[in-house]
Amino acid sequence: MRPHSRHRHSLHCILPPYLSREIARNGTREQRERILRTLSIDTTFRSMRVARGAMIPLGQRLIPSPMMVESQLQRTIYDMKNTEALPGTVVRTEGQGDTSDVCVNEAYNGLGATYDLFWEVFARNSIDGMGMPLHAHVHYGENYNNAFWDGERMVFGDGDGDLFNRFTIAVDIIGHELTHGVTEHDGPLTYFSQSGALNESISDVFGSLVKQRVLNQKADQADWLIGEGLFTDNVEGVALRSMKDPGTAYDDDVLGKDPQPGHMRSFVKTWEDNGGVHINSGIPNRAFYLVATQLGGYAWERAGHIWYEALRDPRLRSNAGFGSFARLTVMAAGRLYGSDKDEEKAVRDAWNQVGIRVSRERAGEPAWGPGVQLPQQAQQQPPTH
Amino acid sequence: MRIELKREGGVAFFPGLNRPRGLDLASLPPETAEALQRAVREARFFEQPATVGTAARGADRIRYTITVEDDGGRRHSVQLLEPVEEPHLRALLELLKQAEKTQRASARAQHP
Repeated sequence: MRPHSRHRHSLHCILPPYLSREIARNGTREQRERILRTLSIDTTFRSMRVARGAMIPLGQRLIPSPMMVESQLQRTIYDMKNTEALPGTVVRTEGQGDTSDVCVNEAYNGLGATYDLFWEVFARNSIDGMGMPLHAHVHYGENYNNAFWDGERMVFGDGDGDLFNRFTIAVDIIGHELTHGVTEHDGPLTYFSQSGALNESISDVFGSLVKQRVLNQKADQADWLIGEGLFTDNVEGVALRSMKDPGTAYDDDVLGKDPQPGHMRSFVKTWEDNGGVHINSGIPNRAFYLVATQLGGYAWERAGHIWYEALRDPRLRSNAGFGSFARLTVMAAGRLYGSDKDEEKAVRDAWNQVGIRVSRERAGEPAWGPGVQLPQQAQQQPPTH
Repeated sequence: MRIELKREGGVAFFPGLNRPRGLDLASLPPETAEALQRAVREARFFEQPATVGTAARGADRIRYTITVEDDGGRRHSVQLLEPVEEPHLRALLELLKQAEKTQRASARAQHP
């Protein structure tokens, strides 16, 4: 039982069962394919998970199909009043109108935009797929230069006004933080080294998709920056990161130079930053950008679906490296759009361009499951990228 | 007394902020230096363990490392994982961030 009464968003209540039926009946061929693809995600994973049996924790149960579920968008914004003693005071709950506090409104709208992306595009009901209420805490600390996900909620500082503006200013950062919750539920990807950089990259990917969708931008219209608007005028830089051109987002006396690589040849080995999670994420970030621009159109439509499918793949291990994630995206592209089609080719090419080769053999059939023949040669080793 | 503050993590990695920043109390305004000394004392800094707070779930949290070297040559480092709940350590961290910001502002005024 959920302790709070939930606001029912009338449009969302109607949309999936009604609209998807209508589209299935009257939509164009493309619309029909899209809706069927969304609905098919569940059954694909249901069979995978049955095959994997008891390895799926109870908490990760399948989300009900969109035909049976209603939107459960339920936002609560708390004002920390510049203290750090969570949770602070509730200042806006679901369905209430704008307040006079711009941070509160930005957080509220950002949570809504992120929820909408996952619900309307990926048929995912909130962070956990089961309608988890969304909590954001604004005005955390004094001059606090950060935003973070603590495992249950998003926390946003006001920035010091010297280097950083308020952290709610960038909707992709709100999407980034919430996506950490999604990854925690579906991955999970250990927050260290390559798996940690994948975790970070997935947050950037879906954070950027939230922003592109709010702005109604196609892949070639988007700036592919993360956190644009966060820096004050004192900083020489445009954003925290660039997915399009990692390493070029800022070059500043105080902050230093953007350290992100965009290719495996510049992979940074370090113990700092949890083994470079915010550094090497540039590599998978750029791979996603390349896929999205190669395929064209709205990035959430094909590239986004491929990445989401790979994230939900039960074969994604918590310590996955770039190579094994790349392989899952190639397989996802083949599964969703047909093998050897443009999508699969675009994904394979993109990884290749950042220095990660996914061989045809390894990206073929799953290495386990009913009816799968193991190859005659020596057993496959886990990817070592 | 010398105090060093190092910052790691957060929603992005900034090489410039990641470098330890040293504060020599002798070069600070007397009231700032005094406030910092008091904060170190009240936090019982030299008796604190090497790490305060646990890395539970979550992402993009900041980790601070404070190193204090007193005039008697004692040196101790404490790593703080946010949110920092211990009030005295939090007060010390706030003072350090404030002093760092003031230093940056005056450096910027001298070399615009």
